[in-house]
Amino acid sequence: MAGALSSLKILEIGEMASAPYASKLMADMGAEVIKVERPGRGDPSRLRGPFPGGQPHPEKSGLFLYLNTNKLGVTLDIARTEGFEILEKLVAEADVLIHNVWPPDMDRVGLNFDRLHAINPRLVMTSITPYGLTGPYRNLRAEDLTIWSAGGLCVLNGAGPDHPEMPPLKTFGHQAGYQGGVHGAVATMGAVMAQLRDGEGQQVDVSCQEAAASQLELTFEYWPYMKVIATRLGKKPIQPLEAMQCKDGWIYLCCVEEHQWKAFVDLMGNPEWAGEEIFADRLKRGENWEALVIFLEEYVKEQTVLDLYKKAQAKRIPFAPVSTMGDLLKSEHLKARGFFVEIAQPVAGTHKYPGAPLKYGATPWEIRLPAPTLGQHNGEIFGKRLGLSEAKLNELKRMGVI
Amino acid sequence: MARPPLDGIRIADFTWVWAGPYCTLQLAHLGADVIRIETKTRPCVTRMLPPFPDAKPGGLNRSGYFNQYNQGKRSLTLNFKDPEAHEVARRLIAKSDVVINNFAFGVMDKMGFGYEAVRKIKSDIIMISLTGYGDTGPFRDYIAYGPAQVPLSGLSALTGYRGWPPMHAGFSYADPNAGVHGAFAILTALYHRKKTGQGQYIDMSQWECAMGMLAEGILDYTMNGIEPDRIGNEDPLMAPHGVYRCLDRPDKVMGVVVDQFVAIAVADDAEFARFAHAIGKTDLANDAKFSTLKARKANEGELNRIVEEWTVTRAAADSARVLQESGVAAAVVADNRFLSEEDPHLKERGYFVYKEHPEVGVRQHCGIPWKLSRTESAVRAAAPGIGQHTDEVMTQVLGYNADDIVRLRAQGALT
Repeated sequence: MAGALSSLKILEIGEMASAPYASKLMADMGAEVIKVERPGRGDPSRLRGPFPGGQPHPEKSGLFLYLNTNKLGVTLDIARTEGFEILEKLVAEADVLIHNVWPPDMDRVGLNFDRLHAINPRLVMTSITPYGLTGPYRNLRAEDLTIWSAGGLCVLNGAGPDHPEMPPLKTFGHQAGYQGGVHGAVATMGAVMAQLRDGEGQQVDVSCQEAAASQLELTFEYWPYMKVIATRLGKKPIQPLEAMQCKDGWIYLCCVEEHQWKAFVDLMGNPEWAGEEIFADRLKRGENWEALVIFLEEYVKEQTVLDLYKKAQAKRIPFAPVSTMGDLLKSEHLKARGFFVEIAQPVAGTHKYPGAPLKYGATPWEIRLPAPTLGQHNGEIFGKRLGLSEAKLNELKRMGVI
Repeated sequence: MARPPLDGIRIADFTWVWAGPYCTLQLAHLGADVIRIETKTRPCVTRMLPPFPDAKPGGLNRSGYFNQYNQGKRSLTLNFKDPEAHEVARRLIAKSDVVINNFAFGVMDKMGFGYEAVRKIKSDIIMISLTGYGDTGPFRDYIAYGPAQVPLSGLSALTGYRGWPPMHAGFSYADPNAGVHGAFAILTALYHRKKTGQGQYIDMSQWECAMGMLAEGILDYTMNGIEPDRIGNEDPLMAPHGVYRCLDRPDKVMGVVVDQFVAIAVADDAEFARFAHAIGKTDLANDAKFSTLKARKANEGELNRIVEEWTVTRAAADSARVLQESGVAAAVVADNRFLSEEDPHLKERGYFVYKEHPEVGVRQHCGIPWKLSRTESAVRAAAPGIGQHTDEVMTQVLGYNADDIVRLRAQGALT
């Protein structure tokens, strides 16, 4: 059985996380993805690592290798007339173009929907950009940190009300990019469904700022409903909802419902302090957290993470370990589900990667190809697919177009 | 505009809390008819959580939380203690394309709506379960709450100030992340069904979905055996790269000063030269301590103090504007008030939604993070009151008549 998207043809002009993640999701479900990189340096995620042995190498970057599985890689300078002409040929064959070219660069090279739509009326063109293709911030410079901040998520994280001197804290990695990517993949698939129905394409304008803001949970609504600002300095109304240190690592204590707290008290051997009036319900435990934390630490520090986790879960208490990377790789649960997958890539070697985000009953998630080396499929795509002669390819190479 | 992409697709939505409703919200955004199956005896917990208008609870329809994640959906209330409620749900499944739930593992089976049962009702049905741990494996019965899923995923171990303990993401990130991945999966399954006529079941673990967001951390371990250091707001290839304190705002909210920050990311040496010029310290770009990335990383503490000396004397929006004018990535660390009232960009893009709601009036809600050029993409209606569409769904979708509804309501199947 082939993947669910095995008849879908995607062209990607993507760098770093957002557009590459959107098309990775689709490639891993069977779509054919041709990834266009700039000649010479390629996708900057090739420079990000992590690298085996800590030695930077453009074909060994963990971030690039992860985000570009199952893709065919070509190099093409779309800012050059000759390059754009080849892009147009690729667009003519594609169902979908996913890109995250910065809007001022789109303008500079003439990458726009009207122009490409004229070549291929069925084309779905998805632009995943920091702020979207309209509005006063369209052309602003952005990095993951500034988008996560502009989307309203960064302000929520920090050291809490006891440490107002500590600034809002970025969540690890490239979360604004990933979220732009997966929200973009949803919107793209919507447009693909409409393409199947109507035989026509359209432009999909995805804003990473808006994708971030869409996840503000209840915190955004605190302003329009109550004129309350939600920040990292807010005190948690209910407790325990905190990470705490065990003998061998950290565990996250989580008692939302009263029966969970009672089960935890039972697990601790019904100590006398737990009967105190100041800990009588979750709101009081929130108010008196400074007192409660001392008692809980006393207990938790004598435990081991896995043991406390399993004992708590056996009593239906939703604790979870603060997993280290090693914990994830060693997890008996993830092993049983076969989550991590080994991928061999000729230059970088064989490593374990995060695997399928979802398990489909009928259509497989599978790694058919490792991430491409820079320009690996130039011959196959430009030569065999588009029929450019070897002489022409050599000329384009000499000109720096491919 | 043409009809929305999922016009004519119906979702039997058994979800609750956040991950599931965030999943079906994406499908409602694309035009699907999402029908939430609710019960009044055990309403969705978010109907009972703040914020409420003017901080006054009362009833099940006033929560800003619920009203955010259920825009454009319909609500059908059933009481599953009555066998005929099961028949209503079966009829709904028969008229649906997709069944979605985010209950703990096994709950749908116990209700009689496991995949095998559902497939007998509709052979090409697509079904997805968004559980915490997935449908297989030794921990599949473990319970997962949103806040605990962030540390479980590994994200907390990687997030935090230098030298500090692991931190959170500040919100239950694994929930919306699972929801949006679930929506993607449903769309791919709809695509496959359209091509082949075949439906299928999708097993989703919120934990696994979240681990896809931290591949760089995982790969540092699998490639090098390294548990990466927590590096706060720093970036290995950019400096300055951080969140810097600005002038406090003159007004207070609920008697408290709300501190302000600007996020700044300087990508390379040329950008640093522009940055130095913008903050009135052009010489920094020629100073051996700061002229190269390597030097800036080596002297990052001192550099950050210099940056903050500049930011702390001005408003966050002012800092961001000045730096952007010099081509430097900078943004206000926006809070909900800033997004709601002051961000000129979101306003002009029409991101926010203002729909009349019978109990809370017109409130501002976050909208759709994408725009489609040819097919309609707009939030159709405010979130439903509990059971608001019971009669409408019973008659228009399920083929019951008015007498049936009276009878089923009297016997308690409909609530």
